[in-house]
Amino acid sequence: MTDRLSVEQQLQAAFPTLVPDPPSGNNMMRYRLDQARLPEIARYLHGQMHGRLALLFAVDGRPIAQTYELHYLFAVGSRQPWVLLTTELAGEHRLFTSITPSIHAAQWYEREIRDLFGLIPQGHPDLRRLIRHEHWPKGTHPLKKDFSWDTVMGRQQGNYRFRHIEGEGVFEVPVGPIHAGIIEPGHFRFSVAGEPIMQLEVRHFWKHRGVEKLFEQQLLTAAVPLAERVSGDTTIGHSLAYCQAVETLLRIDVPRRARYLRSLFLELERLHNHLGDVGAICNDTAYALPHAHCSRIKERLMQLNDRLTGSRFLRGVMCVGGVARDVDTKMLAETVNELNRIETDFSELESIIVANASLTDRLETTGVLTERTAWDHGVIGVVGRASGIDQDVRRDRPFAAYDEIPVNVALYRYGDVRARMRVRMDEIHESIRLIREIRHNIPTGPITGEPSRSPHHGEWALSAVEGWRGEILYVVMTGENGQIHRCKVRDPSFVNWPAIQWAVIGNIIPDFPLINKSFNLSYAGNDL
Amino acid sequence: MFRILKKSLKTGVVTGQHPDAIQPSKPLAPEVREKAAPFKRSLTIREVDTGSCNACEMEMNALTNPVYDVERFGIHIAASPRHADALVVTGPVTVNMERALKDVYKQTPDPKLVIALGDCAINCGVFKGSYAVTGPVERHIPVDVRIPGCPPRPVEILKALADIREKQQSSGK
Ligand code: SF4
Repeated sequence: MTDRLSVEQQLQAAFPTLVPDPPSGNNMMRYRLDQARLPEIARYLHGQMHGRLALLFAVDGRPIAQTYELHYLFAVGSRQPWVLLTTELAGEHRLFTSITPSIHAAQWYEREIRDLFGLIPQGHPDLRRLIRHEHWPKGTHPLKKDFSWDTVMGRQQGNYRFRHIEGEGVFEVPVGPIHAGIIEPGHFRFSVAGEPIMQLEVRHFWKHRGVEKLFEQQLLTAAVPLAERVSGDTTIGHSLAYCQAVETLLRIDVPRRARYLRSLFLELERLHNHLGDVGAICNDTAYALPHAHCSRIKERLMQLNDRLTGSRFLRGVMCVGGVARDVDTKMLAETVNELNRIETDFSELESIIVANASLTDRLETTGVLTERTAWDHGVIGVVGRASGIDQDVRRDRPFAAYDEIPVNVALYRYGDVRARMRVRMDEIHESIRLIREIRHNIPTGPITGEPSRSPHHGEWALSAVEGWRGEILYVVMTGENGQIHRCKVRDPSFVNWPAIQWAVIGNIIPDFPLINKSFNLSYAGNDL
Repeated sequence: MFRILKKSLKTGVVTGQHPDAIQPSKPLAPEVREKAAPFKRSLTIREVDTGSCNACEMEMNALTNPVYDVERFGIHIAASPRHADALVVTGPVTVNMERALKDVYKQTPDPKLVIALGDCAINCGVFKGSYAVTGPVERHIPVDVRIPGCPPRPVEILKALADIREKQQSSGK
């Protein structure tokens, strides 16, 4: 409770006229502000109070109110309430003041709002299209309420202007959207002079499927399958975040057993993804042996998922109110036994990997993301923790069963590929430990809870989950008759992608796949 | 070195340690069988993602792990469409990927097969109807083989690919 007062007090001390709105939940401070005051207060939160801009999103409130709302969400410290600044654009007003010049992390959010809502961030240094590729017809802003979700779009002629560096011996190397491996599409444009990379421009959103608009066509209780398919490798992370938001709206008390099972599934998802990544990082240095072993162990984990739930990706497991599948004592014991065997297996492999000097040579000092750059971009998750950003939702804002089974957060400072691999290795052991704890402490009881109310139009809830990549945020707003009015999805990839442009500078192009793999960001979760 | 050897010996051969396919794959149409004939015993695949949720990719990737080891069936994954006999396409075709898909198809030398992998590629799945999705793969390029599932399990993909290969052997000789 004292923490809560302190954030409020600090703000009050700096801005005596600032009064918080009645809080929407007990974990958030809300402030409604005038357009003109917002940049200053945002700057103060970011600069003085060390607040991370966690999310910036817009809502088209036009059917009811003649306004667009802009929401700026800041995370200030661990175990402190979120701070939300809200401002309105009334009537035909389409301009808002960009905060990107002082808060770098806002850059993609503001361009996204421009593309999807047609609101223009004044003073933004880069107003090129982000999601709307050049062939989208002018004036297409899909998240406006008067844009129909199943519009058939035409094509127009257009050009995308890449940033160019010119000079003697400077070459541009375009890569993608279709890559050489079995990976998702995205475009990377390198400017190189000789070997070292001088600049990388990431151009994404090839896979934009209109996910947020699709959510708006769904009922609150029926959108879990869509959430599972936002980013397939993060099935549990996304579906859990979505369910939690809806549960807040419907005031569902999730039974304890269900919360433990949720943690179990989330850790299982973390395990198989991290194992795949450790192997893939080694493979990108042409060290194939650990890759073979890791993908073998990963396959064991996927088969374990399949035995537990009937889905290798744990699909259909999460439901609004709890979980759809119970895991009985026998299966739990079997899971822990299998994980114990896997841990031994992995530990042997780990000692082979860390003892390899030539591998270490490739990984150390490669693709360094400094703590400063990471902070400026609001980088989170595995990538953040490898660069000294001490952040983990499981510890900072406990959800599921993490208030009862505390997590030890892995933290490294060097920010290179090796640090990102080490974070993953540590988290593999930690996840297995957590699952042992879960098995030990799991209570008996029901696995789903019932809604105790129906939310009214315009109410919304925020939920945060530490997926295996990092913090996943969902904001769900109710519409009429249990429909979704707005669902903002924020995968950690969206925040971390811009940072990769800085991590590669000075490295050579052949190291790019390695650096990219060590970030291993989702294209699907980013493009939505 | 000793550690590595020990690990390899201890691990043994894991290939084939997976549960069997539950869903029987559909028999191939005769014209597809004919089309596949020239590839005889080897099939080189180029994977193209046109907007999937990435689970289908992960299962394609799983095919190359030691457990499924797709190479033992003469199936290779190529880095470029110019080296490919077959395109495996995953995901609904988004507006932004439409052109890239058509380009890839053009760049793949004839004769070629197109395999639509996963429900999205076959009928757009949960993304059906969206403004950002132009339709399933077959709206843009002719599809020969369909592997349903969301995502299909690696064994099911393996089975479907092995089917193509088998038919090739019997009709190719
Ligand atoms: S078929 Fe399913 S798993 Fe495959 S891309 Fe579509 S949603 Fe993802």
